[in-house]
Amino acid sequence: MTEDLIDEGIEDRAASPRLAPAEKAALDYAELMATAPEKIDAAVYDGLAEHYTAAEIVELGAFVGFNIGYHTFFGTLDFFPMFSPDGRLVDQDEARRIYGDRPVSLQAALPADRALAAE
Amino acid sequence: MRARIEPVPDEAIEDEKLRALIRRSEEAGVPDGRFVRLLAHVPGYAEALHDALDRSLCSGSVDGKLKEIVRVQLARLAGDPYFGALRSAPAREQGLTEELIEAGSDAGFETDGRFTPAEKWALRYAWLMYRAPKRVDKAFYDEGKRHYSEAEIMELGAFIAFHYGMQLFFGTIDMSPERGG
Repeated sequence: MTEDLIDEGIEDRAASPRLAPAEKAALDYAELMATAPEKIDAAVYDGLAEHYTAAEIVELGAFVGFNIGYHTFFGTLDFFPMFSPDGRLVDQDEARRIYGDRPVSLQAALPADRALAAE
Repeated sequence: MRARIEPVPDEAIEDEKLRALIRRSEEAGVPDGRFVRLLAHVPGYAEALHDALDRSLCSGSVDGKLKEIVRVQLARLAGDPYFGALRSAPAREQGLTEELIEAGSDAGFETDGRFTPAEKWALRYAWLMYRAPKRVDKAFYDEGKRHYSEAEIMELGAFIAFHYGMQLFFGTIDMSPERGG
């Protein structure tokens, strides 16, 4: 796994020849869960079922939900990794300088009646 | 109506640990047995996530009734009818009413005299976390520390994150509670 492939999977997966259709379906599912969960309908699950077993879909769905919940919480704590990308132990100020602008969070697209305008 | 992923039927669950979790769920109310049956597709997840959910509700030092209100408030935001319909039996036994759950699940909690300032901060924490996380900033946490210890704030934050995450997933699979809510 490389940073380049992670970026491609997040930002440009539709055209990626390096990602399999199953992987693209899983990544689309994760993005929808974060940004527009109301769009995850039976057709989305039917699409996943073309590539994954029910056990794998449950594994994926629970994993995605857990990560969405915790990433937002940890984001509010202003809390950064202990190590730099090259493995140095760094303090929180340096970690903030290294990681503060990344990753760019998926912006949850809550329906207008649920989102708060000032965000 | 069938869920988009069907729970594993009782007769197909032979693992005694999972069967014990289903029995425990039937007593606790949150989650109910369908949570375990759905996650039984991935037995290791069923055990770990049930344990995390059960501990989040039944242990810690933040009032369980307050956490139950937070849980229902979040389920409504997540659009999850499954967790939104479940009710904690211990919280009900401790006197939590539907009226108070309704009051805490609506923005009107801010002016509701039935909630203390500490409870209002906790309800606001959940209210803002996924609607406006940038508002959950240093000043917000500083205010929280006037009401709660850091351990209690972590308990609340982790509770909010865990339940909202599970509710998001369950909201997409169109699953109803075991007893019709």
